[in-house]
Amino acid sequence: MGGNTRDGLTNVTAPHIDNSKLGALGSAAAADGRGSSTIFDVSGLSVSYKGNLALKDVDLEIKKNFVTAFIGPSGCGKSTFIRCFNRMNDLIPGATVDGSVLYHGKDLYGSDVDPVEVRRLIGMVFQKPNPFPKSIYENVAFGPKVLGMKDALDERIERALQSAALWDEVKDRLKENALGLSGGQQQRLCIARAIAVEPDVILMDEPASALDPISTSRIEDLIHELKQDYTIVIVTHNMQQAARVADMTAFFSVELREDGSGRHGILVEYDQTTKIFTNPSDKRTEDYVTGRFG
Amino acid sequence: MARVEFQHSLDALEATLQEQGELVLRALRGAVDVLGSQDVELCDEVIAFDDEVDARYHGIEKSVGELLAQQSPVATDLRLVLAILHDSIHLERIGDQCVTIAKLTKLAAELEPRHDLVEGLTEMGERAAEMVRIALDSFSARDVERAHSLVELDELIDRTNRRVSDQVLTMANTPGTQEWGMRMIVVARCIERIGDNAVDIGEQTAFVVTGEFHEFTDASH
Repeated sequence: MGGNTRDGLTNVTAPHIDNSKLGALGSAAAADGRGSSTIFDVSGLSVSYKGNLALKDVDLEIKKNFVTAFIGPSGCGKSTFIRCFNRMNDLIPGATVDGSVLYHGKDLYGSDVDPVEVRRLIGMVFQKPNPFPKSIYENVAFGPKVLGMKDALDERIERALQSAALWDEVKDRLKENALGLSGGQQQRLCIARAIAVEPDVILMDEPASALDPISTSRIEDLIHELKQDYTIVIVTHNMQQAARVADMTAFFSVELREDGSGRHGILVEYDQTTKIFTNPSDKRTEDYVTGRFG
Repeated sequence: MARVEFQHSLDALEATLQEQGELVLRALRGAVDVLGSQDVELCDEVIAFDDEVDARYHGIEKSVGELLAQQSPVATDLRLVLAILHDSIHLERIGDQCVTIAKLTKLAAELEPRHDLVEGLTEMGERAAEMVRIALDSFSARDVERAHSLVELDELIDRTNRRVSDQVLTMANTPGTQEWGMRMIVVARCIERIGDNAVDIGEQTAFVVTGEFHEFTDASH
């Protein structure tokens, strides 16, 4: 893993991370098994782009079958952070990641880890729906075909489209071009495409910000259904969306460096979503969620 | 400060709550006065005045609904909005207790009162009014310590209530005083409940400030 210098950086306030609460929530949710084990264990994670620190020293655990939301102002590093979970930052020239991300206890950035396999297990859905200019069927079939999952392909595609709550709308026009679908349908198609390769985790970076309210509601309903089978991490600018869908919420903010050399993102508070939106522990979180900033 | 309009709405909501509180205090002072004076006209005024208190409550309930729908308050803002709604309900109930006191006083107006008991009830009423005042002020100042002081004051009212009840029981065999005594025992109960409502408002103050709701005292013990 690449390192970066921390010279000239100021010490930041330790983020409020209430792991005891997390544990309590995990055991409280034992009836349906969600939140009972850890998928990602992040410690001391910092990310730099061409030597410029973007995100500093994050510690956080993501629980299995939980929906975990990252919120915060622009430039706080939340998108940078979510991209660490499937090594998308590897694709950005000059990006270095320092610290550790354990995935089921194994170093995600270990030299023996295949980034392609990482991205199969940890799928991603982006802000703007990005279907291939191919048929609906081919969009969903693409991943399984590339990965050699060719047995019972039709059933796999139907299952993925059903899981993404899209099957009923497209089952009679699977051969039509995916670009003919509405924005909301295209986004659900992208979710189906991610599901088709049987991932463990689905990362969503602003998945509904380009959608109208009805399509947004459908995506949010879908997130509630998908969390039974998948662990979901979502970045959102829409705080009410985080409040509606997430079990846990992490608030990131921007910190100016004392030496004037720039700014970087930090994790301020990570706790149960209900706590973050009713009684946050850090004043910066309070100011952000109540809109009393700026 | 961002969300200026929202803040104005919150301020207006809290001002309406304090206004409702002042009206309730007027009703309570009237209800305490009639205990001694047995002034039937004033009783009618106290009874009619409750419409004013109810109107403020309905106004607050409507505004809270609109704020929740339009502004999606969270964190301290959410706690404040919820606390104001609770406090408004508590104040509305205090208003109802004043009406009951006035109605009972009216019914007992032709009966011979026991002056020592009237003094006890008046003392209870004045303590209750003091408690409502403290509850409103400590909410406004977000003063949890002062809100907590309501528990001790409530104990004084409870004690007087028990004393009045015991005295009324001794009147059970005295011909001609039973009806008055029966009515006044309910009056004492009404005042005792007002003290409880003031403590309830104090608990909401602590909820707004600390983010956690705890009853100041456990009524089951």
